[in-house]
Amino acid sequence: MPGSATRNARRTERYLDGLVAADERRAAEIPVDTDMDPAIRVAARQLRAGLVRVHPSFRFEEALAARLAAAADRMKAGLPAELPSAPVAGGTLTAFRGTGAAVADLGVVVVGAAVAESAATPPIGLSHSAATVVRGLTDVAARPRRPLIVGGVGVASAAISLGAVYVAWRHSHPTSGRMSRAVRAAHGRVSHSGRRGSGVVNEILGVVS
Amino acid sequence: MSRPVLATSEEGARPARLDRDRGLVEAARRDPSRFDALYRKYLAQVYSYSYYELRDHHAAEDATERVFMQALAGLPRFEERVDAFIASRPVTAASGSASDMADISTFRVWLFRIARNVVANERRTDRRRPVSPLEDAIGLHAPDDVAETVAAREAGSAAWQAVARLPEDRRRAVILRFVDEMSTAEIAAVLGRSEGAVRVLLHRALRSVAEDLRRQLS
Repeated sequence: MPGSATRNARRTERYLDGLVAADERRAAEIPVDTDMDPAIRVAARQLRAGLVRVHPSFRFEEALAARLAAAADRMKAGLPAELPSAPVAGGTLTAFRGTGAAVADLGVVVVGAAVAESAATPPIGLSHSAATVVRGLTDVAARPRRPLIVGGVGVASAAISLGAVYVAWRHSHPTSGRMSRAVRAAHGRVSHSGRRGSGVVNEILGVVS
Repeated sequence: MSRPVLATSEEGARPARLDRDRGLVEAARRDPSRFDALYRKYLAQVYSYSYYELRDHHAAEDATERVFMQALAGLPRFEERVDAFIASRPVTAASGSASDMADISTFRVWLFRIARNVVANERRTDRRRPVSPLEDAIGLHAPDDVAETVAAREAGSAAWQAVARLPEDRRRAVILRFVDEMSTAEIAAVLGRSEGAVRVLLHRALRSVAEDLRRQLS
């Protein structure tokens, strides 16, 4: 035989079930156990009316749907659903390339990843971060050097030289067309310095026609 | 709705009930992108639970995101245990909840267990978060009648204030019962307590709310 507390709890449960069922079928009448405390009935009705379900914003719903879809794609690709979260604190010290001797002069960039906290005790006289730099530099020095890449100045210089060679070559190899002969004859009448000029250019460049 | 089917066992055929979300769950297991249907179905419920527990929109959004991400990642490990769930609760005429069996979703119970853990973690890690009143939630579905709106808002506010003063376990049970419309069996499964304990929890919660409302009126 259940105790009075259990009986009252079951009455309350039946009333709550009736409340939900009445709402579902939009009925005003709710079956009531006469032994039930009326104050509990009022409280139940008030909670039923007051505690509404809240929907998040549409923007949040769609944004989360997109993130879940991306996670689902990762799962299909055999990757973990959740991306490893980027650590907020700390950072990795990345040293510019250089020789290990000039540690003090090296530039250091924090690129925003976690520093390995399990690093060994730093050498005496160096802070923990400086020791991390030194360890990184020894790794860098061990790698083969990359080939030297000549930049824009060298390319521009070569282009100018080739252009000058082409101009000189065109001077020393006049075309044999009728129009060209007429132009050369007219040019020769005005001045003879052009021929001499081209000869000077040829001498300067050392181009043998 | 759960579908009764015949399941064969050593004793012969016996009726077994399937999770009402079984189709959606199986589709999502085959193709994780189909999880979207489950997400849309339970978004408001999970969000409401988080919101009523945390009382902050941003915190509720964070918690909701975490819940669904964890659910998606853990879906391959989810086990439908609807039979065990039903078998653990004797259905008697006195319980009056035979209809509960038609509404059982072990997926929903599983999802809300995740939600309960996420919200508990959130509350534990950020105790100092300022608590804002929940009046925003009241009156979202405002009818045209202004007087009715005001009355409903006041009643809702009074009800919420009474609920907010409840001890944690009673408040949680009330939210699951009234906001998420869970049955006693489902609440028991989510909270990890017996149905009898949940029944008593709800009854005592309602009694406290009734006393609180009476005090507010007087």
